[in-house]
Amino acid sequence: MIILCKNCNYIFETEVKFCSQCGQAVVKNVSSTKLKKVATIIGFYVAMLVYMLLVYYVETTFPNNLEAEIIVVIGFACIVLGFASFDLKPVLQLYNNKAIKFKHIVFAVITPVVTSFVVYFFIGFINSLVAEGASVNYFQEYLYLDYPLFWATFFIALMPAVIEELAFRGVLFNALKEVTTTRLTIIATAFLFAVIHFSIFSFLWIFPFGLLLGFLRSRYNTLWLGMIIHFIHNFIILMIDYYNFYNY
Amino acid sequence: MLYEKKHPYLDAFFCLKTTINTILLNQSKVLMEVSQSIILQSECKHCETPVKEDHSFCSECGFPLKGSDQDVAKFYAKRVMDKRKTNNAHEKIKAARKTLFIIAAIITVFGFFIYYKTQDLVPLIINLVVSVVYVVLGVWSKQRPLIALILGLLLYLTLIIITAIADPLTLVAGILWKILIIGYLAKGIYSASSINKVA
Repeated sequence: MIILCKNCNYIFETEVKFCSQCGQAVVKNVSSTKLKKVATIIGFYVAMLVYMLLVYYVETTFPNNLEAEIIVVIGFACIVLGFASFDLKPVLQLYNNKAIKFKHIVFAVITPVVTSFVVYFFIGFINSLVAEGASVNYFQEYLYLDYPLFWATFFIALMPAVIEELAFRGVLFNALKEVTTTRLTIIATAFLFAVIHFSIFSFLWIFPFGLLLGFLRSRYNTLWLGMIIHFIHNFIILMIDYYNFYNY
Repeated sequence: MLYEKKHPYLDAFFCLKTTINTILLNQSKVLMEVSQSIILQSECKHCETPVKEDHSFCSECGFPLKGSDQDVAKFYAKRVMDKRKTNNAHEKIKAARKTLFIIAAIITVFGFFIYYKTQDLVPLIINLVVSVVYVVLGVWSKQRPLIALILGLLLYLTLIIITAIADPLTLVAGILWKILIIGYLAKGIYSASSINKVA
C-alpha cells in the first residue's frame, strides 16, 4: 500500500497518520472522501424520492398513456446512469460473468419461483386481514395497449430488474461500501430498497428479498444473478395476475 | 617469591578484583550499546513512538521533532482544539440520536390521534411499526452512528414524500419542525462521517 501526502507529495510505503516531512494529517483525506460518499448516497436517494413524487403526478395527469410511461422509465434510467457515471469503473465491473457457474444460474432460476409464490400468498393473506392492502392487478393496468402482456412484461419485469439492480446493488451499494462494512451495506441497501417501494406491507417481504440480492451481489461481485432473480420474480407475479384476470 | 607465603585473603582479593573488572566491562559494553541505539533510533517526546532520524514530524501523532518551542506550543494548541472538535461532534451525534427517538414519539402520538379521530386500526398499526423502526435505529446509532442516522434521515424524507402524495398540503404543515428534524439529523451525519478526522 502506498500513501501519498496531499500537502507535500511525499510517498509513504507503510500506513502513517501524519506526514513525517510536513506534519500534515494524512488520515484527513479519508474522511473527506467519506463525506463525499455520504453526500452521494443521500443525494442519490433523494433524487429517486423526488422522482417518485414526480412520477405519481405524471401518472395521475396522464393515465393510460404509453409515451408518459416510457418517459418515466427513461427518466429513472437517466438518474441512475448519471449517478453511476460519477464512479463508472466499479459499476462496469459488476457486469462481468466470470464468477457465475451453472449451479448459480440454477439457483437464480429456482429461488424466484419460491419467493414469488410466497409473496403472492403473503399478499393474499394481508388482503384478507386489511381491506387496503396491495390489491393492484399488474396485468390489468396495461389492458389499454395493443399488446398488454408484452408491455406489462417490459414495465413490470424487465425494466425494474435492470434499473433497480443497477441503482441499489450497483450505485448505492458501491457508495455505501466505502463508508461502512459489507454486512451493514447489505442491510442498508435492502432497507432503502424496501422503503422506496412506499408500502409498509410489502416492506415485510421486500426487505428480506433485498438482503438476498445484496448478499449475492457482495458474494459474487456481479449484478447478473440479482437481475435474473428480480426479473423472474416480477414476471411470475405478473403471470399470476394474468392468470387471475382471465380465470376470475 | 613474593607470594610464596600466601596470605589467606589474597586469593579472595584477586578473585573479587577480576569479578568487579568483568562486571564493569560488561556494564560499559551495555551502556555503549544503549547509547548507540539512542543515536540510531530516538522516540517521539509526545507519544513515545520510535522515530527515524530524518523525520521532521512524528508519523503517529504529528509532533514537531525538530521544531522550536513555538512549534511545540502550536502542536499542543491544535490538539486541544481537535479534542474540542471531537467533543462537539459527539454532542451533535447525541442530539441526532435524540432526534430519532423524538421522531418515534411524534409518529406514535400521531397514530393514536388518527385512531381516535377515525377509529381505523390500520394507520395506527403502520405508525407503531414505523416508530418501532425509529427506536431500533436510535438504539443502533450508539454503535453505528453514521449508518443509523443516514437510514433515519432517508426514512424520514420518504415518509414526508408518502404523506405528500396522499395530501400535498402536509408538505407545508409543520414545516419548521421538519426543517429542525432534518437539520439535526444532517448535522449528526456530518459529524459522524468526519469524526475520524480528529480521532
